Amino acid sequence: MFKNYLKIAWRNLIKNRIFSIANIMGLTCAFAVALLLTMTAMFELSFDQFHENKNSTYQVYLTNQTPRGAEVSTSNPVPLAKALKEEVPGIKQITRSLSEDALVTYKEKNLNLDAEYVDPEFFNLFTFAVINGNTNNPLPTKNSVSISEETALKTFGTTNVVGEILQIRIGSEEKPFTVASILENTPANSSMDFDIVIPFENHPEYESNKDVWNSQFLPVYLQLEEGVTTQQFEENTRAFANLHYAESIESDKRDGATPDVNGQYKQFHLMPITDMHFASFKAGKAEAPRTFPYIILGVALVIIFIVCANFINMNIALSEKRLKEIGMRKTLGAVKKQLFFQFWMESVIVFLIAIGLGLMVSNLLIDPFKTLFNTKATFAEVTQPGIIVLFAASIFVITLIAGGYPALLLSKLSTLRALKGKLDLGKNRLRNGLIVLQFVIAIILISGTLVLHGQIDFLRNKDLGYNKEQVVSIPLNGRKDSYAVLDLLRDELSQNSDILSVSGSDSNLGLGKDGSITSSAMGFEYKGRGVVTNALTVDYDYAKTLDIELKSGRMFNREFSTDSLSMVINESMAKQLGEEDPLSIRIPMDDSITYSVVGVVKDYNFQEVSRKIKPLTLFMNRNWDLYYAYVKIAPQNTAQSFDAIKNAWEKVEPQAEFLGSFLDENVDRTFKREKTMATIITSGSVLGIILSCLGLFAISMLVVAQRTKEIGVRKVVGASVSSVALLLTKDFLKLVGLAFFIATPIAWYFLNEWLQNYASHVSLSPLFFLGAGLTASLIAFITVGSRTVKAASANPVKSLRTE
Amino acid sequence: MLLQLNNIFKWVHSGGQRFFLLKDINLEVEEGEFISVMGPSGSGKSTLLNVIGMLDTFDEGEYNFLDESVHSLKEKHRSNLYKQYIGFVFQSYHLLDELTVKENLEMPLIYKKIKGAERKARVADMLDRFNIVGKKDLFPAQLSGGQQQLVGVARALISNPKLILADEPTGNLNSKQGEEIMELFKQLNDEGVTIIQVTHSEKNAEYGSRTINLLDGRMV
Repeated sequence: MFKNYLKIAWRNLIKNRIFSIANIMGLTCAFAVALLLTMTAMFELSFDQFHENKNSTYQVYLTNQTPRGAEVSTSNPVPLAKALKEEVPGIKQITRSLSEDALVTYKEKNLNLDAEYVDPEFFNLFTFAVINGNTNNPLPTKNSVSISEETALKTFGTTNVVGEILQIRIGSEEKPFTVASILENTPANSSMDFDIVIPFENHPEYESNKDVWNSQFLPVYLQLEEGVTTQQFEENTRAFANLHYAESIESDKRDGATPDVNGQYKQFHLMPITDMHFASFKAGKAEAPRTFPYIILGVALVIIFIVCANFINMNIALSEKRLKEIGMRKTLGAVKKQLFFQFWMESVIVFLIAIGLGLMVSNLLIDPFKTLFNTKATFAEVTQPGIIVLFAASIFVITLIAGGYPALLLSKLSTLRALKGKLDLGKNRLRNGLIVLQFVIAIILISGTLVLHGQIDFLRNKDLGYNKEQVVSIPLNGRKDSYAVLDLLRDELSQNSDILSVSGSDSNLGLGKDGSITSSAMGFEYKGRGVVTNALTVDYDYAKTLDIELKSGRMFNREFSTDSLSMVINESMAKQLGEEDPLSIRIPMDDSITYSVVGVVKDYNFQEVSRKIKPLTLFMNRNWDLYYAYVKIAPQNTAQSFDAIKNAWEKVEPQAEFLGSFLDENVDRTFKREKTMATIITSGSVLGIILSCLGLFAISMLVVAQRTKEIGVRKVVGASVSSVALLLTKDFLKLVGLAFFIATPIAWYFLNEWLQNYASHVSLSPLFFLGAGLTASLIAFITVGSRTVKAASANPVKSLRTE
Repeated sequence: MLLQLNNIFKWVHSGGQRFFLLKDINLEVEEGEFISVMGPSGSGKSTLLNVIGMLDTFDEGEYNFLDESVHSLKEKHRSNLYKQYIGFVFQSYHLLDELTVKENLEMPLIYKKIKGAERKARVADMLDRFNIVGKKDLFPAQLSGGQQQLVGVARALISNPKLILADEPTGNLNSKQGEEIMELFKQLNDEGVTIIQVTHSEKNAEYGSRTINLLDGRMV
């Protein structure tokens, strides 16, 4: 019996070649893409899940009630960790953990490594396996370090290096450290990524800040005792916060901050470490929306839905051709169950072929996929037993629905009706419903694509207030003093007429090749009010190099010797200070030092483009290090100029890698997430529309075949080709139109929600939706039209004769 | 007695009125009979045949087949009953296009859950008996109408039915092919198979031992 089913299934596939190919191709594409997308989503969701203590380990953050509302800080003072452990019950262990670059020297090699400054408990909280050396206590003494396998290979060429001595630059001096243990490389799905782990006491800021509570710069992680809830921790830390942050609470109170519902101005909270990858802070609370992976999963599901709808529709339509077979089988004694099983099995065969091919295709596509979507996901994400079982179960259910529904319809038919070949499927309501749903999805995806690209273009073309096309930014990752490097660069490049000016600052614009974004903020009192501003240290020629417009006053100038006590502010800052003449502002920072405002610059996007421009103060002080150089070049010969800069850099800092890049590249890099999302949604919508059309094409073919006689009769009585074609096409376009009206409000709602994440965004014009609707209709029209016009222009005598 | 119909009525509603397809049919069929059912189009010949073959239901009356009362059986048992005792031959053959001659013959045996080896033997027997061994791997579309009907009859016979129901078996055939099929039926009847055929042709009706005439659903 089974063999017989297989045989007839196979012969039917061959007989309905076009449909089989359409079905299998569609399913294959959908499975391959869905697999890759699921893989990406699972990878995202697996972030930080590998830590054994993940359920009891948290990151500490502090919610501050300020006059501007609730603000969250994950940066903590140095003494916090020890004080919390000693004064607050319920904490099992606690560690500080600060990521910074470290310059490491071994013999002749200089390496710029990602360092993590931690307490020894770090390795109890987080699971980073030791492969060599001290397993129980990877950092036994203050002068020991742990390095990753990759770092060991890069530095020593072998991993058998326990006991070797490395020189690490701490502040301005080099100190020797012993390698105590080798760690496995940090997993790709870890939020913490480091090359070397150094005991926290060695951090250059440690000694001076040991007991300082108002200098806050490091994350703190802790594990709660068993049975202690985060709620209890929050209650337990209230008195603690009031005690240790008394000074800052006083000034907030004075400035008019309102306490939270518990009367607290400072409230500690805990965020599970598994949320770290997704965390964003809104209105004083940490949120970890997993929107991105869920959108990816959603796109995968939607694609699978579209092909399954195709499959169901084609199966039902095709089954009309098989009524005779069903009737015959029934007269020969087949019962419902047997027929159902037969038809279901045919679906399973098609699905199995498609899954096999889909696996092959996704295997072939995985490398380009990884680059395109910029993910480190691998098949390992989806080959866990749980997921495979889930996958098998969902295939079972899908085939049962997709193959089983038509099978049920057919097997239920009475024998005689089946034999007569008449099928009454309730006016194709299901078929039309599925087509409408497919196009709703397609239109939502297309409008999503249009809006996403619109927003990216908007961000990219937005006037950021500085010249991003002509400026190269170079991370100063060498060992020389930054001002010396800038002067040397100026010297080297002064002969080149295409190099217009050189400057520097302590934080980058956009995201450079060094991959770091920093910002620093400070607060001070001005006329009895607390004022918070972002702070930036710059070199001479900063505004000139970046083409930042000066509103009033002047920039720092070599002719003024007192400029280390001058500051330049942006318009937002001037507004915050609220003086009619900002140039008259004097600000006493300390008892002895008073800064004066010498200039106001126009607001420019010194942070990510998606954010609002905040108050900013520029300082010029040669005692504060700079970390980035900016070089402005002439608009012509950009490639040569870039090479000239690179050559100059290699002369000045022969040991350090040149990581310079144009600012527009840097800005683009900050949209990485948007771009990845755009790529995914775009490919999702392209695939979605192709698959929907594939289904529509097949259905239109069948409908035309069913109506051959009607077309013949209409033509015989004098209908024109165009009127017949229109008649046939109209039904389908109606469905697309209906889909448009359903899809638009849904798409509008979600896109509007999404755009609210951006301080400035493209306006959600109806054109986006009209564009999506028209695209969908046009594609549907072409798909269906090609069949209907052909049918309409056929000779009516022929179509009538076949009846 | 093979089967017995007592006061069978079958009707449909049309425009609020009962429209009778079968009206008070009483029929007894003995084993070994060869009955021809005749009548003009729409007189209910095919409906009667379908009722006898249990493919169609009726609204009133009693139907006993080999001492089983068909009117009170569930579909599953009915299906078992006709699977075992009745073979059908159709005007348009109704062979499965996707299966070869051999596979078409094998199918009823599969549904009767007969083991593979025996199936093969019986299919081979049947191919032999109808002289179509050479055509066993051809598909229906590759055969002439007469040959297809031959396969149709062979398929009806393969499960050794007591009764063969044939709905205009020669309707799509030319006169020579038709004659051959009728000869075949005659021969089968001589071997003891009960046959009920629906036909338009007087000549074909004469092969039968008894003729039933229908008009407007009523036996005349």
